[in-house]
Amino acid sequence: MTLTERLVALLDNPLIVKDAVSRMRSWRAPVILTIYLGLLGAFGYASFVTATVLQSSQRAGSAQIGASVFASLAFIQLSLVSLFAPALAAGAISGERERQTFDVLLVSRMTAVGIVWGKLVASVAFMLLLILSALPLFAAVFLFGGIDFEQFVITQLLTVTTAVTIGAVSLFLSAVFRRTLPSTVVAYGVAFAGMIGTLVAGLLFTFALMVRGSAGAAAQAGGDFHPLLFTNPFYALYVVLNDANGTPMHVGRLFQLLFFVTGQPSTIGPTLEPWQATILIQIALVALSVIGAVQLVQARRAPMPSRPPEPQEPAAPDEPPVPAGQEVTP
Amino acid sequence: MIEVEALHKRFAGQVALEEVNFIVPRGEIFGFVGPNGAGKTTTIRILATLAVPDAGTATIGGIKVDDDPHAVRELIGYMPDFFGVYDRLTAEEYLQFYAACHGVPHRRRRPVAHELLELVDLADRAGDQVDTLSRGMKQRLCLARALVHDPSVLLLDEPASGLDPRARIEMRELIRELRRMGKTILVSSHILPELEELCTWVGFIDRGRMVAAGPMADVRNRVLVGRRLRVELVDADDVKLFAARDQIADRTGVIEVSLVENALEVAVEEEFADQELLLALVQAGVAVRSFAPVTGDLSEAFMRLTGPGAERAG
Repeated sequence: MTLTERLVALLDNPLIVKDAVSRMRSWRAPVILTIYLGLLGAFGYASFVTATVLQSSQRAGSAQIGASVFASLAFIQLSLVSLFAPALAAGAISGERERQTFDVLLVSRMTAVGIVWGKLVASVAFMLLLILSALPLFAAVFLFGGIDFEQFVITQLLTVTTAVTIGAVSLFLSAVFRRTLPSTVVAYGVAFAGMIGTLVAGLLFTFALMVRGSAGAAAQAGGDFHPLLFTNPFYALYVVLNDANGTPMHVGRLFQLLFFVTGQPSTIGPTLEPWQATILIQIALVALSVIGAVQLVQARRAPMPSRPPEPQEPAAPDEPPVPAGQEVTP
Repeated sequence: MIEVEALHKRFAGQVALEEVNFIVPRGEIFGFVGPNGAGKTTTIRILATLAVPDAGTATIGGIKVDDDPHAVRELIGYMPDFFGVYDRLTAEEYLQFYAACHGVPHRRRRPVAHELLELVDLADRAGDQVDTLSRGMKQRLCLARALVHDPSVLLLDEPASGLDPRARIEMRELIRELRRMGKTILVSSHILPELEELCTWVGFIDRGRMVAAGPMADVRNRVLVGRRLRVELVDADDVKLFAARDQIADRTGVIEVSLVENALEVAVEEEFADQELLLALVQAGVAVRSFAPVTGDLSEAFMRLTGPGAERAG
């Protein structure tokens, strides 16, 4: 089997086609796309105006304007993606169950892996479409200069991996919960914790590290950031866009700081940029979510009946059957 | 083709199946009858590899269901007691989707969908979105869906529930047609008359236990002791009725003659020639207004068997 055949086989999943067709036929698809691009465009324009007004006095070049507009676009896109992703994926499996089509899928030749993979691709595909459709906007701002190609690529990559991660975690939750509503609520909670919670907690912990660090070795070059920040896509994006050199840290040092050890910096392991650390964490999260979802789908092959048996009026003569061999009286 | 032996299943401490036994030979239509909550759906879900029994075995085509669920899934077409349909898919796409799920190769999917739509008489609705179809049409589409991989066994859970009489008849004809195609069919219902003239084999279940099961004629004989004929007379009064009863009571094949609601009910043996009884009555000068088999009698027997005070068959 050649590589292309393998790729085609991976995407030749009935669920991908079915979900894509029925999603694109609904009125929601064009509306979501319009809202997404509209918001992105509006914010982009607003930041362009702000940048020109603020920086006109300083006779700023187009590069500075470009960099600042690009940065705000990237942040807004990342926020929008994390807002849309839970809604798009949290009903993937619970929706099949609610529509009572899940059993029928289970008795088909579809494997648990096939079902989870198809659902993941189907829900992530729409987010990729959103990200792709915003590329021209980024490309236009890119022309102003101020952003190099590497920053451009990493920005888009981080957005995609964040979308896939939130999608995968939401998919896992949609396998955990029988209903789409609780699954969506929890998915938003998790997305919020991952996008905002880690940022706030990471900043607080970093502050704690700074306080402790200044009490001890005052000569902390560059400062220590708590590793929780390294898991946060917003922080990763911020570093990519604002610090050309980045703030690479050794893996060993990250583990030291995780447990608030501020002593002699360890140099064990390769160095990681925040965006690299973020993507590694995200890959791990996606893998765990997919494995978890597959396990849950597999387990549901022999589930409880969709309706519990209706309560019967108790039949008086029915004693519970005593298994043979247990009738021995003491 | 289907063998179910001593199935036992509990849900949260409540017994769902206590002792379920039946067999369905190849090519038969098995009517699985019982009140709501008797355990029909649970049994069918076990056969469909969607539930695991606590004890007992279920075998389809010689394969134990929990030994090799994959092989069993290839053999069965399962239609649940609810129909799940997708929004914004046409009837044809719906079938193609399930054909793909069942591993039907690409180039076969369209022809398969077309053949099945033809079979369930929905060919002219192929391009309509599934959610715009009537309930009867959706039900037939779901039956078509259960056939995409050409299974030899069909497990149909209440396929006629919620249908109007016309749609019920269409569904019944469809099931007959499938039998002619050589399929073995298990069809459940909580209403017996729906199945009485369709099924060749029958099984009664009540509160998780089989009450009776076997070929239709055997079960009928066992629970009814013969068939019943209803004879109505012109201007019937007791004198005429008693006179008529005396004419026929001693004939061979007649088990019992009773007076019911100003008419005679004659219990006869299964092989009794009804027309001879009519002939005898007419020759004796009895003015017969109507002469007909009592219908729904199996239902009464079934109600008796499964009623609150029913004696349990071990």
